Amino acid sequence: MQALPPAVTFPAAAPAAAGKPVIRFIEVGLSYGQRRILEGIDLDIWRGEFVSIVGPSGCGKTTLLRLIAGLARKDEGQVFYNGADVREPSPDVAVVFQDYSKALLPWRTASGNVALALEAMNVPRKEWADRIGSLLDLMGLFKDRDKLPGQMSGGMQQRLQIARCLAQEPKVLLMDEPFGALDAITRQSLQDEVLRIVAERKVTAFFVTHDLEEAIYLGDRVVGMAANPGRIAKSFVVDLPKPRDQLTTREHPRFLAMRHDLFSFIKHG
Amino acid sequence: MNAVARSLWLAGSLGVAAGFVAVWHAVSAAGLVSPVFLPPPAAVGRALVNGFTNGDMLANLAATVARVFGGWLLASLLGIVLGVIIGISSRARIYVAPSLEAIRPLPVSALVPIFIGLLGFTEQMVLAVIAFGALWPTLLSTVHGFGAVEPRLYEVCRSLRLGRWEVIRKIALPSAMPDILAGMRVGLTVSLILVVVAEILGSREGVGYSILLAQRSYQAADIFAGIFLLGCVGYASAGLINIAEKRLIYWRR
Ligand SMILES: Nc1ncnc2c1ncn2[C@@H]1O[C@H](COP(=O)(O)OP(=O)(O)OP(=O)(O)O)[C@@H](O)[C@H]1O
Ligand SMILES: [Mg+2]
Repeated sequence: MQALPPAVTFPAAAPAAAGKPVIRFIEVGLSYGQRRILEGIDLDIWRGEFVSIVGPSGCGKTTLLRLIAGLARKDEGQVFYNGADVREPSPDVAVVFQDYSKALLPWRTASGNVALALEAMNVPRKEWADRIGSLLDLMGLFKDRDKLPGQMSGGMQQRLQIARCLAQEPKVLLMDEPFGALDAITRQSLQDEVLRIVAERKVTAFFVTHDLEEAIYLGDRVVGMAANPGRIAKSFVVDLPKPRDQLTTREHPRFLAMRHDLFSFIKHG
Repeated sequence: MNAVARSLWLAGSLGVAAGFVAVWHAVSAAGLVSPVFLPPPAAVGRALVNGFTNGDMLANLAATVARVFGGWLLASLLGIVLGVIIGISSRARIYVAPSLEAIRPLPVSALVPIFIGLLGFTEQMVLAVIAFGALWPTLLSTVHGFGAVEPRLYEVCRSLRLGRWEVIRKIALPSAMPDILAGMRVGLTVSLILVVVAEILGSREGVGYSILLAQRSYQAADIFAGIFLLGCVGYASAGLINIAEKRLIYWRR
């Protein structure tokens, strides 16, 4: 039996937002040696938007994220943050790395790891205890504040990394497959926590994932990439009601239709 | 380790040590080796007591301990500072490391005559010999430790816009600490060897010098007393490093 193409069509453009985009890619290209990694990337991300990035392994999702973070260099085109060329990391932009165990300081407790961001931001020392306490509380780690990362589960470590990123009080949160290594239950609870935090703090989110359902569940928009060279091949708005809910959202007919569409895009290009 | 396991371990290791002494006594008493070369343990004990009460063993021990730790601390400090300077830049690491690796295996004891020529039979000469010899293990392990810092942590620092000095102090040094302490442990062993060499070749004081004197007058028991004291210094210093490791790398189980 042959699968029918999806009957629904999705709006391909970004929401008609006022003003300038927070992040703007214009004709960005990048090569490593002879290999073309990214080509002709045009992407606008608007304030407060949650953008999910999906695509086959090696298509350049992480590279795209690193360009926004100021951790990678482009060869052509321009990357703007708030209208200014991105040349180096900005204090407004926080990065949640996938490999949480490598991104934490193993010799510092949970509190100490959050403190690193406060030290970097030159926050007065008398404010530390309050800010660290409320961030750890927010991420459900308050009782674990004196534990070392090595004494924490993967989910707790990733929560801790997110707490450190939030200590930066970022305007943009870049996340690179943050829940990829976590079990399904932990992943779902962290998905909801991230959605809540991002909404409360009006943070713009750039979320790379391999999990297509996660991309739709979290995103205001899903951007699909194709490989060789990495380019944007699909972009659609997720017009699902908010707040999202693990049961009803995932059973929503629109969710299922988008899921179908995205799966066939990844499978057949 | 709980209390029971601890006392078992203590009893066991004391038993093994006592066994060694017993075998030594038996070999010596049976006359298997001439007492001119291997005095019985009791004679060594008497020589020790005598050295401390009537002789200048205490002054010799104090001089040697001061030299070992002075030279070793100097070496460690220099090794860490130079190691940080080389280790922080991946380019310097790549170009300088081969030369360091080539210098390291050179026996520093062979350089003692050069140090004597430069500095004479002085305290500075002894310190310089120890510091120069004990420098390499710490220097190389610091460079290695800096090279082995998780690259992701450097990215976290870049993303947080931490300054270079902060990155060294908060990330690279703690991360390299296990390597640095391992290097310092080797450096301490080297210091103990070199203090004896330097004292025998160019000093009028210290346990090494007392061994030289004892050897010249065929006092085997005094030689063994000196060796025993050096062993004690080595054992105590290894214990100090163990404590430092427990305190500084508590996060590595
Ligand atoms: N520093 C580098 N030097 C050379 N090639 C690189 C480098 N970094 C990434 N690449 C290559 O660039 C391509 C894109 O890498 P990137 O990590 O962005 O992919 P990705 O989409 O995040 O993949 P994944 O889903 O597996 O994480 C890959 O083919 C990778 O091999
Ligand atoms: Mg990736």
